[in-house]
Formats: sequence, structure tokens, C-alpha cells
Amino acid sequence: MSVLNNTLANARVQTERIFQRFTPAQRWEHAILLLSVTVLLLTGLPQKYRTAWWSLQLITTPDRLHLIQQIHHIAAIVLTLEVFYHLIHAIYLLARRRLSGDMLPTWQDVKDAWQMVRYLLFLSKNKPEFGKYNFEQKFTYWFLFFGIGIMVVSGFILWFPVIFTRVFPGGIIPAALLAHSDEAIVAAVFIVIWHFYHVHLERLNLSIFTGWLNERETRQYHPLEYKRLSGENPDTGESK
Amino acid sequence: MVNRKLRLLPVLILNTALVVITCVGITLTVRPVQAAEPSQKTEQYCLSCHNDPNLSMTLPDGEKLSLYISPDKLAKSVHSPLGIECEACHTEITTYPHPKIDYQNKRELSRSYYLTCKKCHPANYEKTLDSMHAKAAEAGNLNAPVCTDCHGTHDVQSPDKPRTRVSTTCGQCHSDIYQQYKSSVHGNALIQEDNPDVPVCTDCHGVHNIQDPRTALFRVETPELCAGCHANEKLMSKYGLPANVYDIYKLSWHGVDVSVYQARWPTIWHTSAVCTDCHGVHNIRRTDDPASTVYPGNLLATCQKCHPSVSPNWVGAWTGHNEISLEHTPFVFYTQAFYTYFTPLVLWLSILYVVLQIIRSIVNRARRSLQ
Repeated sequence: MSVLNNTLANARVQTERIFQRFTPAQRWEHAILLLSVTVLLLTGLPQKYRTAWWSLQLITTPDRLHLIQQIHHIAAIVLTLEVFYHLIHAIYLLARRRLSGDMLPTWQDVKDAWQMVRYLLFLSKNKPEFGKYNFEQKFTYWFLFFGIGIMVVSGFILWFPVIFTRVFPGGIIPAALLAHSDEAIVAAVFIVIWHFYHVHLERLNLSIFTGWLNERETRQYHPLEYKRLSGENPDTGESK
Repeated sequence: MVNRKLRLLPVLILNTALVVITCVGITLTVRPVQAAEPSQKTEQYCLSCHNDPNLSMTLPDGEKLSLYISPDKLAKSVHSPLGIECEACHTEITTYPHPKIDYQNKRELSRSYYLTCKKCHPANYEKTLDSMHAKAAEAGNLNAPVCTDCHGTHDVQSPDKPRTRVSTTCGQCHSDIYQQYKSSVHGNALIQEDNPDVPVCTDCHGVHNIQDPRTALFRVETPELCAGCHANEKLMSKYGLPANVYDIYKLSWHGVDVSVYQARWPTIWHTSAVCTDCHGVHNIRRTDDPASTVYPGNLLATCQKCHPSVSPNWVGAWTGHNEISLEHTPFVFYTQAFYTYFTPLVLWLSILYVVLQIIRSIVNRARRSLQ
């Protein structure tokens, strides 16, 4: 998957090799996810805090409230379609035995996390060496995977309560309201603190938009992946 | 002994004088309208003719108007013993023979005497002008009540003694509603036990400026109206009732909606349930009364008034003014228990991890620059 340009390197011109990290379909998925979740949060928070002053500035008439709910529902449909695409695509790949295991949590992630905590507490001088996705990125994926699952299920219960209570006990409705309301906050807090730090502050990582990561960053942050892709030792840059 | 008594004499005299002065003072302040000597001379003079039960006249519309005034009833009214005599109200009749009157019928006569009450009771009179009854009269319904229809005429009494008098007074016209009220938990306690705490009509509807209870504004303020008593800890404990029903309602789906409408759009009609939608209005019963609209067996039908075609499971969605508990609301209980720990856990672990990373990267940078 690497773009190697050995001839130019021989000509002593510094060229940057880039490594593809995400497929165009995955980049589209993230863009749709980002947009729909942003709209859902912007239209959901004024409903959750509908007695707060800033919400009252926005929801000035019952029609506005109705409009906000409709926008929320449209964004919810977009997100739901995205979730379905993601799951069906994964099942399709799994059936053809082509599903990449990169994102699956492993025992190595637990060891990496432990090593990382030791490193952060100055108990160790070395950062753990990560593969394509480090444990932080896997944690982000699975945290939002289940978070969005809770949001979608509870959201549809709230949207169609009459249909759901034909089958399920009525108690799920206030529970869904509580879960929808609380999980939204948890997910928003998690994205803002955890995800934004890792992709904006720690380093500006735009690979999910561009699709690629440059050689230096791949070597620094995903050494095992660098080794696998280039066949070179990430520390020395020499071929084995 | 004698000497001591004599020495106390001036004190006794002074005390007696004080008591007398105070009594006179109280008498004067309590009865400012009373003449120094209630002579009742006019009253007796008028009654010399009007004590005849057969005295009557025919009005231009053909109605027969009895002119008999029962001296007995007059004596028991609130006005007569205070020395407020006939001419206080009948201001135009000062001579005999009386000036000719030009009322077409009895109703016209009643309505015209409306103004005589204003003389002494201006505040209450002003209030009535803003009432539903005044609006009905403006719309052409001359049967809409004026002062005397509720308070009586020559037999005017304290309107709320006993309290049942209030409800029976309104019931004179609003008979269907009075029948419903009589069988309600409030009406029953009033009529059977003369309970001093249950609401009579005027406690909810107001007294002289009674408003239309069918407006969006009245509807949106209903929960607060009920909360006036049902959120009163002291009053509710007297009857073994919980005083937190209003607070829990305000957290519910219905309650949040209603509080937003009340704060923002009180005059726009809203459809979220208020107390009376589920519990009934004049026919409110105890929740454990099988005839109550919120008795478990009747709850589905009550929900279906607003949510038609919902299944029996639907009633389980209503948390029933209960605090979140394993017993009453297990689903909400477990959800809440989960998020009680999950939300702060995620928040603080994220913050802690990111802060540690920031510290480590700053230290790394500092070390590099020192080398």
C-alpha cells in the first residue's frame, strides 16, 4: 500500500512517502458520521435543556421546537442508514472472510494500555509500539460503536413509543428517555475531551479526511504498521 | 387588708377605664358603618307595609313581583343588624308614595340593583367586571349572575359560612357540575364532614373575577393550582398523601412540556396532560377508588383519551408520581444506576488520561530543549 519512490530518493531529493490509511468509503462514512452527529447534538441539546436560557433563545415558538425535532429526525435517519451500511458491510466482509481484524480489541491492547499508563506516570521511558490502530483509537471506535447503538435504539423507542409498547413493557420508554439523554452527554464529552485531544492537540491527524498518513507520522505513531507496510525498521529506516 | 385594697383602688379604676376604652375602640373600628344608635327607624317604617305577604305588583312584562319582605329574614341578614337600612340600597325610594319604577321584568330589576352594591363594595364590584359572568352578560346572556344572585338580597349572609354554602350557591346554576363535585373526594369530604381543607368552587375558580376555565392559560396553570394544596407538606401529611407529586410531575414528559409552555407560550394551547386530564376535574376521586380514572384498571382508557390505540403495555410508561425505584420503575432504576457511575467515570478517566498525556509531552519537550 505504500507509495515508494526509490529513484527520486537516490537523486538526493527529499520526498515524502505516504501510506494509505483509510479507503474513500471509510472517509465518507466518517464525514457522514461527523455531520449527522453534529446536527443531532445541536438539535438535541436544546431539547434536553429546554428550560435553559440559551435553549429558550433558540426555541422561541412551538413551531421552532417542531422544526428542531424534524431536523433531529432527518439527521437520525442519516445516522441510522450509516450504521446499517457499516454493519452490513462488515457482515459482508466477514462472510467473504475479508474483514480486517485491525480494529478488534486484543490482549496486546491491554498490555499496550498498561505500558502507556506506566509511560505517562514516568515509570517507563518507552512508549508502547502500536500497529495500524492503537488502543486509544480502538477504544474510541468501540466506545462510539456502543454509544451510537444506545442512541439509535433509544431514539427510535422515543420516536415510535406506541409501536414499541405493543411488544415491550411500557417501562422502557422513560428508561429510553433517560438513556438517550445521558448517553448523548457521555458521547459528546468523550468526543470533545478524548477524541479531539488525540486528533487535534496531540498532533493534527487529518488522515480520516485525506485518507493517508505521511512516513514520519506512520513511523512515529504506528511503528508496527510502518514495519509491515514498508518492510523497514522504523527506528533506523533501514531494510531488514 | 383594707388599706391594701384601698391602695389598689386607683389601679383598678385605671384598668377598668382602659378596658372600657378598648372595648369602645374595638366596637368603633369593627363597625365603622354602624350608626351611633341603630334605630332601625326606616326599616320599621318600610316594613309597616312590606311585612304583608300578599303585597305585590305586576311588572310591564306581566311578571308578578312580590313586595313582601320577611322581617325575620331581614333581621338575620348581615346588613340589618349593622344598621344598614332599606334606603342604603333602595336609594331612589325616599318618599311615599314611591316614585314610579320602569323595570320591564324581575331580571331587569335584579341587574339594575347590581350598582347599589358597588357603593360599599367597590373592589369586589370592579373584580366582577373582569369575570366570565360579566362576559356572558355582555354577550347577551342576562341570566349571568350579578351580586344578589349569589349573595342573596334581603337575606344576604356571609357567603362561606358554612363552607358548603359556596358550593351550593354555584350549584344553583351549575347543577351538573355540582352533582359531579358532590361525589368527588373533595365534595364528599366537604358535604359529609364539613372538611375545612378541601377546595370549594371558589378556591380553584376564584371569587369575583372568575375566569373562563377552558382557556389555554387556565389549562397551563392547572398543575400549579393543584400544587397549591398538593405540594403542601403539612396539609398532605394530615391525610397521608405524598406532597412530592407535583415535583415528580414536573420532571415527567408531560410536566416538562407544560412548564415550557407556561414559561414561554402560556396562551398557546398545548396538549400535554395536566392533572385534570388524568384525575378528572370536578369528579376527582381517591386514586384507590375503583371508580377513579387513574385506578389501575381504568388507566389504559384514561391514557387512550390522548393516545388512542395504545396497547395495555403503554400504561407502564407512566411512572405514576413515583420516585425512581426498583419497585415501581425497574427499567428507569437500572438505567439511572448505570449512568450515575458511567457518566462521571468516562468524564474523569478521559480528563485524567489526557492531562497525563499533556504533562508527559511537556516534560519530554522540556527535556529535549535542555539537552
